[in-house]
Amino acid sequence: MILVGILLTFLGFIISVLSLAATSSVGGRLAMVLLGLAVSLFGIGVLNKAYLKNAIWKKGYGRE
Amino acid sequence: MKNTKKRWLVGVLLVELCIAPVALTQAVAPATAPSATAPTPPAPTPKPILDTDLSSIPAPSADARAKGDPDGSLTGNASDITVSDPKKGLTIGDLANQVGQNKIAVNFVWTLITGYLVMFMQLGFALLETGLARAKNANHTMMMNMAVYGIGMFAYWLIGFAIQMGGVGAVANLGGTAPLSAEFTMTLFGKPFGLFGQHGMFLMHRGTYDVGVMVVFLFQMVFMDTGATIPTGAAVERWKFSAFIVTSFLFAAFTYPLFANWAWGGGWLSSLGTNFNLGKGYSDFAGSGVVHAVGGITALALAMMIGPRIGKYERSGKSNAILAHDIVIVLTGCFILAFGWFGFNPGSTLGASSNGGLRIGSIAVNTMLAGMAGSFGAMLYMWLRYNKPDASMTGNGLLAGLVAITAPSGFVNPVGAVIIGLIAGVLVCISVEFVDRVMHVDDPVGAISVHGTNGLWGVISVGLFADGKSNYGGSWNGVNGAVTGLFYGDNGGQLIAQLIGVVTLVGFVFTLSFVFNLLIDWAVGQRVAAKSELEGLDLPEMGALGYPEFELKAEM
Repeated sequence: MILVGILLTFLGFIISVLSLAATSSVGGRLAMVLLGLAVSLFGIGVLNKAYLKNAIWKKGYGRE
Repeated sequence: MKNTKKRWLVGVLLVELCIAPVALTQAVAPATAPSATAPTPPAPTPKPILDTDLSSIPAPSADARAKGDPDGSLTGNASDITVSDPKKGLTIGDLANQVGQNKIAVNFVWTLITGYLVMFMQLGFALLETGLARAKNANHTMMMNMAVYGIGMFAYWLIGFAIQMGGVGAVANLGGTAPLSAEFTMTLFGKPFGLFGQHGMFLMHRGTYDVGVMVVFLFQMVFMDTGATIPTGAAVERWKFSAFIVTSFLFAAFTYPLFANWAWGGGWLSSLGTNFNLGKGYSDFAGSGVVHAVGGITALALAMMIGPRIGKYERSGKSNAILAHDIVIVLTGCFILAFGWFGFNPGSTLGASSNGGLRIGSIAVNTMLAGMAGSFGAMLYMWLRYNKPDASMTGNGLLAGLVAITAPSGFVNPVGAVIIGLIAGVLVCISVEFVDRVMHVDDPVGAISVHGTNGLWGVISVGLFADGKSNYGGSWNGVNGAVTGLFYGDNGGQLIAQLIGVVTLVGFVFTLSFVFNLLIDWAVGQRVAAKSELEGLDLPEMGALGYPEFELKAEM
C-alpha cells in the first residue's frame, strides 16, 4: 500500500508536467493540472490509510 | 439566546472586515485628474558636466575638519569619493563609479539586514514550538530548533546552495554574481528544463568566493533554515534526535534546494512563461511555496510516518486535545516571527536601490495587513465555532496570513493582501481540524496547516490577485510586463503556472521527502520508544530537563 501511495502521489506530478506538452489550450491544461493534483492528493490519502492501519492508538496505547 | 446574539455580532464583524477594504478603496479612489490647460515652456537643454567642473567643487579644509563636525555639515563630501588618478583629480568616471558602488552598497546592506531579521525568526519558531509542547519535552524541542540552524547551514554550504543558486546567473541588484552561471538543463518537449545549479559548493568552487555571492548565500541560507525548522513542529514530542539530524541534513542539502532552484534559481518552473506562454512563469515572490509549503509538506510526510503521540487519539479514533504548556512563549514566538517577516518579504527585492526596489514599502504594508487579517480571521472563526477566541489559533492565524502573503507580497495591492490574509486565517482553522480529525495526523503545532496548506494558498493567490502594477525592471522571469492574476485580466495562464507549482509541491516534494524519511525510518527509526515518550524526551534524549525544578509526572 505504501508503494502504491508513493507511485500515485508522484503520478499526479507527472500528469501535470505532461499537460505542458499535451495541449496549449488554457482549459485543457487547467483540467490536466487539476487532475494531477487530485491524483497526488489521492496518493497521499492512500499512504495515510496505510499508516493508520497500524496506528499506535489502535494497539492499546491510546486512552480508553 | 445569548449565544445566538453573540454569534450574530461576531458574524456581522466578520462581514464588515470582508467588505470594509473594498468600500474603502472605492471611497478613496482619486477623482479624474484635470487636463492641463497652460502649455509648459520647453525645458532648457542641460549643460554637460566636464571633469573640470568637478575640480572646482569646494571641500572643507583640513583645519576645519580638525575642529570636529558636531552638526554633520562637513562629513561626507566630494573629497570622500575615491579618485582613480590623483594627478587628474576627481573625474566623471570616478563619480559614476562611486554612484554605482553606492547603489550596490545600499542593496548589500538592505539584503544583509533583512537576512539578519529572517535569522531571528529561528527564535520565534523555537519559542512557538516549545510553548505548544508539554513541559517534559521543552529541552528536546528547543534543542531541535537550535540544532537545525547549524545542521541546515552546514548542508547548505556543502552542496545545497550550489544546487539552488549555482546557475541563477547575474543578480543585477547585487552587482552581478557572475560566477553562479552553470545550470544543468535537459530538453523536454523541445524546451530546456533547468534542473539544478552546479557552481558554489563550499562557497569556493568556480569563482564563487565573491562579495555578491556571499550576500546571496546569507540571504538564501536563512530562508532555507526557516523551511528546515518547520517539520520539527509536526514531529515534536516523539521524534528521535538522531533521525531528526539526518532528516534536516537531507532537507537542506537536496529537498529544499531542488524546488528552490526550479522556482528561483533559473529552473523549469520559473521558465513556464518563456517556454510555454504561462503568464510570467511560476511566481513566488518570497517563498510561500519555496519555503513554507516545502517545509509544511515535509512536515506532513513526517507526521504521517511517525504517527500520533500516545494519548492523542482514543481507540475509537476520537481526538484529545493535548494542551500547550506555556501560551505566553507561544504568542511571544508569534510576534517574533511577525517581526522577522519584515525581513522575509521586503528583503526579497534583494535591494532597495533597484528596479522596483522602492516597492519595499508596499511589500512591508501588505505583509502586516495580511498578518492582521489572518489573525482576525482565525480568532473570529474560533469564536463563532467554539464560543471562545482561542489564543494559540489566533497566533496561528497571524502566521497563516503571513505565510499566505509571502508569495504574492510583491505583486498585490493592500486590498488583495487583506483578502488573502483573511482567507488564510479561516483556512488554517479548517485545515487543523481536517488534519486532526479526518486524517488522524497528529501535528502538535499546526505546522502542516500554517505552512503547508497556507503556503499552497499563497502560491495560488498570486494567480488570482496579482494586480499587474509591480515593475521589477520591466519583466519577470524573462517575460515582459508585470505578474497579473485572473481577477486583473489575465487569461488564466498565470494561475496554471501557479497550479503546476502546487502539484510539484504536493506530488514531487512530498514524494521526495517521504522517501528520504522512509529510508531514515528503516535505517535508524524515526520514533522514540514509548517509555521515553511517556517520561518526556528531555532526559532520555537530551540528558537534562528543560525545567529541572518542576515536578513532572509521567503519563500513565
